[in-house]
Amino acid sequence: MSELVLETEKLDKVYKLGGRQVRALSDVNLQVKKGDFISIMGPSGSGKTTLLNMLGCLDKPTYGKVILDSVNITKVPEKGLFKIRKHKVGFVFQTFNLMPYLNAIENVELPMEGTKKSGDEKRKRARELLKLVGLSEREEHRQHRLSAGEQQRVAIARALANNPAIILADEPTGNLDSKTGHEIIRLLGKLNIDQGTTIVMVTHDSLIASRAGRMLFLSDGKLQAKEKQGTHLLKRELTCPNCGREIQPDDTFCPRCGKKL
Amino acid sequence: MYVKVNHLGVLARAVRNVSRRKMRTFLVIIALGFSMAIMISIPAGIMANQEAAQSLTENFNSTISTMQEEITKSTTLIECRASSGQGMRSGMPSGMPTYGFGQEEVFINETVGDEIRTIEGVKDVVPFLQKSSEETTSETLSTPRGSFTISRPLYTITGVCLNSTFIDDYSILPTNITGRNLCEEDSGVLLMSLNLSEYYGVGVGGKVEIYGESFTVVGIYNSTGQGVTGARTVYMNITDAQTVTGQIGNVSRFDVYAENASYVDGIAEVIKAAYPDLYVTTYEDRLANLQNMQTMYTTTLNNAESTLSQTQTIATQEIIIAIVATSLIVLFVMLYTVRERTREIGILKAIGFSNLNVMSQFMLEGILISLMAGVVGIAIGSIGAPFLSSLLLPHISLFGGSSGRFRPSFGSANLGTTGSEAASVALNPELMLLAFGVAVLLGALGSLYPAWRASRTSPMEALRYE
Repeated sequence: MSELVLETEKLDKVYKLGGRQVRALSDVNLQVKKGDFISIMGPSGSGKTTLLNMLGCLDKPTYGKVILDSVNITKVPEKGLFKIRKHKVGFVFQTFNLMPYLNAIENVELPMEGTKKSGDEKRKRARELLKLVGLSEREEHRQHRLSAGEQQRVAIARALANNPAIILADEPTGNLDSKTGHEIIRLLGKLNIDQGTTIVMVTHDSLIASRAGRMLFLSDGKLQAKEKQGTHLLKRELTCPNCGREIQPDDTFCPRCGKKL
Repeated sequence: MYVKVNHLGVLARAVRNVSRRKMRTFLVIIALGFSMAIMISIPAGIMANQEAAQSLTENFNSTISTMQEEITKSTTLIECRASSGQGMRSGMPSGMPTYGFGQEEVFINETVGDEIRTIEGVKDVVPFLQKSSEETTSETLSTPRGSFTISRPLYTITGVCLNSTFIDDYSILPTNITGRNLCEEDSGVLLMSLNLSEYYGVGVGGKVEIYGESFTVVGIYNSTGQGVTGARTVYMNITDAQTVTGQIGNVSRFDVYAENASYVDGIAEVIKAAYPDLYVTTYEDRLANLQNMQTMYTTTLNNAESTLSQTQTIATQEIIIAIVATSLIVLFVMLYTVRERTREIGILKAIGFSNLNVMSQFMLEGILISLMAGVVGIAIGSIGAPFLSSLLLPHISLFGGSSGRFRPSFGSANLGTTGSEAASVALNPELMLLAFGVAVLLGALGSLYPAWRASRTSPMEALRYE
């Protein structure tokens, strides 16, 4: 059995809104193994982002526990959570959330501030990551000179900066057009396969969700019992669904039959 | 401005954040700079006033004692000045010509001296002619209320009767001479003050033109240390003085010496009765005048001290207001900045920045702005300290209000009385250093709460902020 990276037990989250209680999450039990690429799908207001916030130590559950990389983060005091966010979690947001006054490489270096890495090591690591996401030529570009897809790639590189145990992606394709969205999902899938990066992604887009390895469904704060195997991008890409011939992971069109993949 | 650095740290990020909001930073720096300038100008103004008051007190005390000595030595002297018959004249010791700035110069026929000499008990009558030069000089007085320029005659001609008895017995000429002093039979020569010789660039043996006539300088007297006023007087034979000034047969003063002190009052009464246009003073009058002067001075000094003390209170209040205003400016700007950058704070915290990291970044930005404001403040303060201090501090009238109404203008000569009320406001390095310290402190103080608030922001809430 693969090593568990993330586990939740009976996770509940209750908000107070205008004097009434709103149950955002209810009895969520989730297990994420090392190397998993999980998508959690659900309509707007189903509690996807709330769940992701719990998993990434941005919020605390009302009840239940979250165990991340063998640490029960619900018991970690508020002051200690930043270390977990820095070293164990990498966030990818829908709106990219890059620092507008920093260029691409500086944005990637940002989470490494305060780590033991020297300045040169940070720069080297940031360069490697930008290369990994295909932005070697864009190191010095600031946010306004990058396309939306490129910004999200920088955000992914930034999420990987401290080699976290898990990447949490909140609607990572939500602000992208369909083509760019698929490129980003392809990149996440590639990272999952090549680097063994564990990814939990929430989305309301079924097509995007289906590109993960495992699809979970969240409805009214409850994780549904049904679970689907996704058509993991890279697994799918090994053969063309149209002609059955072998294809390369980065191909958009089948080089044999010429049809869109 | 884009600060390119090899390894981005909190300082570089703070610099970039400050520089990317140029207009706001500029306005804040200007506003803070003015507060800083006020903070450094006011103490500078106060210090300048204190120094001016202290210097005046010292000068006055020294002059009073010199005058007292002169008066004490001249118990048998009766001074008779040509007078228009209006107003009081301060009593001057023997041999000390006066220049009443702004007063009409009045003359009397020298034959009056011969008549006075016939009065019983009169030993000698020494005539003097004093006349201002036609040349004038402009001088700038810098006071706590600002600078203004006044025009004064360049020098005073003092014509002295060069009788060897008078020279020997009555100290009618200055001492401390380079070259030689005037002596009997001298004509076409003169004695001038050191500052005047420097002004003309002539030494002993040189020639100067007085009222269009050429004179040889035979001696130069040192005019420093002879009272509050800088002396600029030209001494010459009275006949030469009468000729060049066009006052032939006229004098402006007689020093009448009695055989002994018992005759003084009688002689004074006779002169007063015979010549009502002469302003007559005896030893007692001069002593009384001196005492009046001392009393007046003490009163005005007390008033000045009281004003100074009030000024210090006002200054303290103004400094406190400036400090509070500065802190509030930093506070509001940083609060606004924190609010505006809520989402950024959320991102920083989501990627693993601690509360301390976030707090230090915002504090550093506040301190950076304040430091720049400190530099601007010093620049504004250096240029505008006199203006700012005069604008913010009440007018300190050290000697009875308007300049010149009472000016202790006694001494061997009295041109160039600049600076009797001058308080030159200058910033010293300690004040500038203090301004920097205060700038850093206020920057830290003003950004402390906003930075703390930023650090306490929930990352989840912050990320939701639009």
